[in-house]
Amino acid sequence: MNKPKSNRKVQEEYNKIFIEQAPTAIAMLDNDMKYIAVSQRWLKDYKLEGQKIIGRSHYEIFPEIGDDWKENHKKCLQGEINKCDEAPFRRADGSVQWIYWDVRPWYITDGSIGGLIMHTGDITHLKEKDLEKSRIEAILEKTNEVARIGTWEFNIIKNEIFWSKIIKEIHEVPEDYKPNFEECLLFFKEGESREKAVNATNNALTKGTPFDLELEIVTAKGNSRWVRAIGKSETTEGKTNRLFGIFQDISKIKLSELALDRAHSELKAIFNSRSIAIISTDKDGIIKNFNRGAEALLGYKANEVIGVKKPSVYLLEEEVKKFTKDIAESFGKNAANFNHYSDLAGRELNDTREWTYIRKDGSTFPALCTLSAIKNSEGQNEGFIAVSTNISEIKKVENELLRKNQMLNVAEKITMMGNWQWDTITNVVKWSKNLYSIFELDESQEELTYDTYFSFVHPDDQKDVTTIVQQSIKDKKFHDFIHRIITKTGKTKTVQLLAEIITNDQGEVIEMIGTCQDVTEQKMAEKKFRGLLESAPDAIVIVNATGKIQLINKQAEKLFGYQTEELHNKPVEILIPARFTTKHTDDRKRFFLTPKTRIMGEGKELYGLKKNGKEIPVQISLSPLHTEEGLLVSAAIRDITKQKLAEQKIIESKENLEIIAEKLRHQNKQLADFTHITSHNLRAPVSNLNALLSLYKEGTNEVDKNDLFNKFETVIHHLTSTLNTLMLALKIESEDLEEDLETIRFEDILHKTKEILSGEIINSGSVIDSDFSKCPKIKYKRIYLESIFLNLIGNAIKYRSHLRTPEICIESALTDEGKAVLTFKDNGLGIDLERHGHKLFGLNKVFHRHPDAKGVGLFLTKTQIKAMGGHISATSKVDEGTTFTINFN
Amino acid sequence: MRTLTKICIVDDDDIYRFTIERTLESLEYSTKTMAFSDGEQAINFISDHLNEDAELPDIIFLDIDMPVMDGFQFMEEYEKIKSNVSKDMIIYMVSSSLDPVDIDSAKKISSISDYIVKPISSDRLKSILENLN
Repeated sequence: MNKPKSNRKVQEEYNKIFIEQAPTAIAMLDNDMKYIAVSQRWLKDYKLEGQKIIGRSHYEIFPEIGDDWKENHKKCLQGEINKCDEAPFRRADGSVQWIYWDVRPWYITDGSIGGLIMHTGDITHLKEKDLEKSRIEAILEKTNEVARIGTWEFNIIKNEIFWSKIIKEIHEVPEDYKPNFEECLLFFKEGESREKAVNATNNALTKGTPFDLELEIVTAKGNSRWVRAIGKSETTEGKTNRLFGIFQDISKIKLSELALDRAHSELKAIFNSRSIAIISTDKDGIIKNFNRGAEALLGYKANEVIGVKKPSVYLLEEEVKKFTKDIAESFGKNAANFNHYSDLAGRELNDTREWTYIRKDGSTFPALCTLSAIKNSEGQNEGFIAVSTNISEIKKVENELLRKNQMLNVAEKITMMGNWQWDTITNVVKWSKNLYSIFELDESQEELTYDTYFSFVHPDDQKDVTTIVQQSIKDKKFHDFIHRIITKTGKTKTVQLLAEIITNDQGEVIEMIGTCQDVTEQKMAEKKFRGLLESAPDAIVIVNATGKIQLINKQAEKLFGYQTEELHNKPVEILIPARFTTKHTDDRKRFFLTPKTRIMGEGKELYGLKKNGKEIPVQISLSPLHTEEGLLVSAAIRDITKQKLAEQKIIESKENLEIIAEKLRHQNKQLADFTHITSHNLRAPVSNLNALLSLYKEGTNEVDKNDLFNKFETVIHHLTSTLNTLMLALKIESEDLEEDLETIRFEDILHKTKEILSGEIINSGSVIDSDFSKCPKIKYKRIYLESIFLNLIGNAIKYRSHLRTPEICIESALTDEGKAVLTFKDNGLGIDLERHGHKLFGLNKVFHRHPDAKGVGLFLTKTQIKAMGGHISATSKVDEGTTFTINFN
Repeated sequence: MRTLTKICIVDDDDIYRFTIERTLESLEYSTKTMAFSDGEQAINFISDHLNEDAELPDIIFLDIDMPVMDGFQFMEEYEKIKSNVSKDMIIYMVSSSLDPVDIDSAKKISSISDYIVKPISSDRLKSILENLN
């Protein structure tokens, strides 16, 4: 029994020495887990140097050892070997020690277990490196994910391509997608991107050239993306084995870049704009930037102002002062000592207002300027930037708008009209200024809704207004109407509402806009007009342009026997006899073309047609009426039946008077003729008689007296002859014309005349032609006709020309009216009618120095013809002849 | 001493001419009468003796109503040649007409000295001759 004990001891000693000297951490424990031996390294690894641990329990030394390990130890004491490559050993002080271990039993000679041998290694520093690497890799992976960076590899030898998860996500392909070389290139967008990718890949493959490109791809889902592709090659013995690299989705960056570029371009464009002036100043207020727009607007060149001028060069002093005051006040500072720079520190300034800019040439214009402070990183104001536009045009338009608005206000005032808007959805109502005036409301005090309006509607009209508004909304068409309102001060007014209804795309009424006109006066005027119409003494019928009756007064009802309703909108021709209607329709249309007040059918007899069919003579005067409904015509119709009767009587009286006047005139003429005759034809012989009588009285010798007596005889004879002629003439004119009328053939009278004048005809060698075929006979007084023929043929022979054979031509004819005409034409001496025409048919008028000329024949001829209602005239030329023409009645 | 006064009577009335001539003869004036029975004869005479003062009358008694050319027509013709007539002749229109138309017409002609209604009394003739001389 000792020997084994001795062997055991020896082995323990041996083991102890071995363990103590071992370069690694080894501990030898007995079955009670008490230390038999430990290596120096053990003490060092577990920081047990200087401690006496042999004989002490392992668990006493390491109280932090948990039950799991203790269980393992137990198992090992029963023969198991427990190994661990790495495990954290949480120390009692909280630190973690990474260790590996190998725990196994040691056997004594009899094969029984003597305890445990623990072999551990402190791999904490190694583990920390590993952990660091993993952490870095995890961070990298995370970064890649965040930065959308993936890795790729092209194994040329195996012709295999590897894409990381991110790359697959970038390309929007499924995770199991297996890329190939050709397909990979096809993802690059056709054109510049694909070309660049192909070239870069080729260069990398053939020349080993690395690449770093920004390219556009089209993903499997058709989306466009920007990527950064970095690649390099791996070469062995001059041959490229693989390509590898990374792939980053830079779409956002790229888009941002593009947006930035665009923004930059836009900014540049704005800065270069000729319509926007951009001026900046430095902290001393000196102009630092002065763009083209500023040049164009202000007329200065940039180099004239940059670095030398302050904005005060183009600003009005009072406006600058006002600006300073406003800004100072807005920052709660005193304007007097306000400093744009120090006082604005750390505060935002953004002021937009209108300025008056002064151009270099001194002219001014309105500008809208937004002024911003430029801050440095400390928030100190380093200057200002002013962005300005010329708002002359806007101002002009604004002014124009203002002016038009004023005009609208004036127009509304003049026309007593206001306008309104009613948002039927929100029930918000807007009124124009004048509408408030019409309702006598204070513009500032009223919150308007539809009810505001309705509350002023006259109580008697409210029902109608509601009905019409509802109907309008239903029909989506506003039915214009007139109603009364009671204004705020209690006045009753009549207003006319006109409006348009506005609908949305769904056809729902969303708004009404319209006008409201105070037509109180018009209504009054209408009433007055109606009163006037009814008080007019004449029947008045008012007709529109289409000839439809619009209005009639009571007098018209009475005159035509119709009621107003029976005539309303009926054609006016209903009041006119049928035989006139066609012409009247045309006349009416013409009147409307040139309407003016006038008497209708002046000079014509007009008739109206009563309902009972009776015609009445009327007189009509027409007047155009310019109304809102268009042009109307007012016809004032007067029944002139009584006037017509009176007129008839007047006409008859006039005709009678005319007959009497004609008789008087005739008698006067006779009297005048007689006066003339007495004056000329009777006074002459009488004066001769007086003269002779004087001579006779004064005569002394008988011879003279006898001579004078002979003269007396001559004068008395002449006087007697004249008196006889006058008697004859008076007899003719006073004779009964109807008496002794007989139908006489002209031929017979000529024949008799030729017989009486046969001596003269033969002596003179006169040739008498006649043609009575066209009118062979006449009903006349034979004695007159014989006298006429005798006188005219006798004269023709008496006053013949001795230079030619006397030719006398007598012809009869008929006028269009069937009256007989007789002409006596000769080729005799002729009469100078210019000289003697006025006394051709006068008594005792002679025109030739013919011894037989008495001036009686033509006088009597004319008297006879006139007495029978005829007329004699003459045409003549001296030395050519004369033609007498007799127009018989 | 009284000079010879030439008096021209233009009238178609023989009796009238006779009574004037006889009346003139009865006056104590040295007169010589000449007569024409219408205006045309008278104007022809004057035209033929425009510058012959000795032939031209001093006074013309002009009738209105005459054949061929009446008194007014004579005046129209006379006015045409008046400026060429060397002698100032005094013209009296003499007519039995009391017609105001005739009287007014005569008075409108400035060359007519007066309108005398027939018969001319010897006193009137005397007065005319007296005024002349």
